[in-house]
Amino acid sequence: MPMTDEQKVALLRGVELLAGVSEHSMAAIAQRTGELTFAPGQRIVSQGQLGNGLYLIASGAARVQRGDEVLARLGPGEVFGELAVIDQMPRSASVVAEEPTTCLALASWDFLELVESDPKLALGVLRVLASRLRAAGERHHH
Amino acid sequence: MATAEEIVDALAGLALFADLGRPELESVAHTFEEAWFPEGQRILRQGFSGTGFYVILEGEVAVKVDGEDRAHLGRGDFFGEASILLGEAPLADIVALRPLRCLHLAGPALQGFLVAHPRVMYRMLVDQTRRLRNANLWRR
Repeated sequence: MPMTDEQKVALLRGVELLAGVSEHSMAAIAQRTGELTFAPGQRIVSQGQLGNGLYLIASGAARVQRGDEVLARLGPGEVFGELAVIDQMPRSASVVAEEPTTCLALASWDFLELVESDPKLALGVLRVLASRLRAAGERHHH
Repeated sequence: MATAEEIVDALAGLALFADLGRPELESVAHTFEEAWFPEGQRILRQGFSGTGFYVILEGEVAVKVDGEDRAHLGRGDFFGEASILLGEAPLADIVALRPLRCLHLAGPALQGFLVAHPRVMYRMLVDQTRRLRNANLWRR
């Protein structure tokens, strides 16, 4: 059964990057997300491929692997590819479903459209990035 | 003093404004003020409020934390946005290493400017995301 927008919003609330986003904007994001299902063993994203969005696990389980090395296991509510929704860098690892897994996905092009139609949403994201940069102890680099 | 036309040309070559058309660049040129600083001048002061947002047109600055050089910024780079957005004092001194020409926007005007120019905000988001990735790589 497809997720309701309320269920999607509840999941999106767990994404740190979106912590500064208003209720109204979050509903708009929820409407842009897609629901994707993966069978056990299926790759959700592949290492080296261009990142084209962020994924949230709604149900199921997945493993993060680089080559043959398993780096982490992810379950419901966990997010990956968070920064790729903005900068579309190549994936540094693959994520493979371990069980029947449903993900909520937000594509980078949809995110860009959201930024343009609702710039206040982007201000919230910018603040989160700025404070994470400070927390990472990085002042400026180039 | 550069003409508005010269400032528009300078802006057009910077990554932060790369998505803007000529009319939008002209509006940006009118919003910002040109500012010059001599070599050695401290532009932002660590721990002190009263800041602004700066985009470097020419010259170079050092980012110094507790007197220690952390990074250098040059043409097209920008600084001051984090303390404005977070409402906190700068975490670093910004010092001109050579005569500096930049564009300045007063702190309270930054959010309105970004909301009016979402493509600039998007470029800023991408820049900050890359900085964050690099910062996390360093930490590992």
